[in-house]
Amino acid sequence: MIRQSSQALLVALLAPALLGLLVFRLYPIAIAIISSFYTTVFGDAAFTGFGNYASLFSDRVFWKSLQVTLWFNLLVNPIQIAISLGLALLYVRGFPGAGVYQVFFLMPIGVSVPTAVIVWRVMLSQGGLANGLLDLVGVAPQAWLTSSRLALYSIIAIATWKGASYWMVFIVGGLQNISPELYDAARVDGVRPWQRLIFITLPLLRPALLFVLAADVSINFLLFAPIYMLTQGGPAGSTDVLMYEAYKQGFIFGDMGRAMAVVVVIVAVLLIVVALQFKLLSAREQGA
Amino acid sequence: MAASDLKIRDGLRLGLGHLGYAAIAFVFLLPLWWAVVSSLRPNTRVFADVFPFTPKALLPSPVSLEAYVGIIQLGFGQIILNTLLVAAITTIAGLTLNAAAGFAFAIFDFKGKRIILSLVILSFMLPFEAIALPLYNVMRQLGWLDSIAALVAPGITNGLVMFLFYQFFRQVPMDYLEAARPDGVSWPNILLRIYVPLSLPTCISAALLLFVFQWEAFLWPLLAMPSQEFKVIQVGMAAFQQQYGTIWNQLFAVAVVTALIPIALLLPLQRHYVQGLAGAGIKG
Repeated sequence: MIRQSSQALLVALLAPALLGLLVFRLYPIAIAIISSFYTTVFGDAAFTGFGNYASLFSDRVFWKSLQVTLWFNLLVNPIQIAISLGLALLYVRGFPGAGVYQVFFLMPIGVSVPTAVIVWRVMLSQGGLANGLLDLVGVAPQAWLTSSRLALYSIIAIATWKGASYWMVFIVGGLQNISPELYDAARVDGVRPWQRLIFITLPLLRPALLFVLAADVSINFLLFAPIYMLTQGGPAGSTDVLMYEAYKQGFIFGDMGRAMAVVVVIVAVLLIVVALQFKLLSAREQGA
Repeated sequence: MAASDLKIRDGLRLGLGHLGYAAIAFVFLLPLWWAVVSSLRPNTRVFADVFPFTPKALLPSPVSLEAYVGIIQLGFGQIILNTLLVAAITTIAGLTLNAAAGFAFAIFDFKGKRIILSLVILSFMLPFEAIALPLYNVMRQLGWLDSIAALVAPGITNGLVMFLFYQFFRQVPMDYLEAARPDGVSWPNILLRIYVPLSLPTCISAALLLFVFQWEAFLWPLLAMPSQEFKVIQVGMAAFQQQYGTIWNQLFAVAVVTALIPIALLLPLQRHYVQGLAGAGIKG
């Protein structure tokens, strides 16, 4: 009797969540893969096999977009994680009045990406605050968002400002898990602060850092809002990341099959990158 | 070394520490502060004192609420209510569903549990943006495009939240259950009287995660509501920027209001939010 009622309960508890998973996560993944093999001819879906992929791989715009995405990620992820780590180390240090700064450090979490984009867009405009402050130290005004030389780096700055405090929170969690006795013992043994950071803190933070790295890379690989709102992939394709390319193919050019093929490529590249990270970072652990 | 010398050195160090922290906090807050100041200025004065820069640029003078009146007249009140509705439904349904699943994974042993659990976590690790485009096709098949259901449904099941509850319920000693079960206490009673009250702190963390997820959603509402008759805040704000890009003070007012609501929730509940996120990250 008890087992039966428990089984009914188990189904009742699990079924809604698993249904959500099935319909809103797994099914879309299947759709993405399947429809990437179809193309639209006069409003009807027609099977093309690897046609979409073949045309993507022979398209210079796609390769440029892949290149922009990889370069963007190669820069933004290490920068964000280094800054979050620094912030987290400052965050956990207790001293009189530290609570106020903790609140300030957390503020950008409440700011959404579109909000950050709107504020920064005006700050980075020709007569905006950024150029005004740089003028004080004698730097000439820059076209932060409208020059192909700077646009991508401006987006990196905006994403970092918005993202750093979010990732800091995860690292703070990792730091709080490290036993204070370890530091006390090290202090007694005369270990210097930077040595404590390298030999105690960083190795023990590895799980938290690995999680943050994987999650941060996933988010940044799929970054969309700043490009959609600020540059639409321009100027001259300098910010045309793959996610925007997919949106453009599907919702501006109306070619859903091709858009899905781009999405499949993004996720495939993302999976390879994340797998590589885990492999490299756990290999180092064995060596140590 | 005299004790007073030590005191001075400590005081100096504390002062330097404050200075360093204040400088970093300044970088974080400057954009937000400038947005607040600009939203309180008349539109013609937004760029006053900015270039060339004088410190007056960081103070609102004269203060004017014209921008806030303007955005209410443009219908932003309705947009905020829409978003609150979507976020509230998602939060309530999401708490129930994810807590139930987390509880089931933590308490029961069944065939294939490990595989299902890791599948759940893996599929939710993939950011929402990755499935937004194919999800559009799913919603078209379901006929849900342009309905609130299209916005709410995909946000309810949330892997991070489910995992948070799973972690929490696993730590609750089984003694509670073992004491209640043989006494013939029914399952609904056990859940409502024992587990729900115990999990209240986790519920706060989870509710914040669910709420902020919907409040900050952008790409999905952009795709799921093609007619944009029912606007949510982030999309409404982006549309405002494209349409009225030079009414700077109103643009800033929209940005300030959009940021203010989650910040007002996060600040008093800061500890819960931090614990919620951090707890989900490290023990994975």
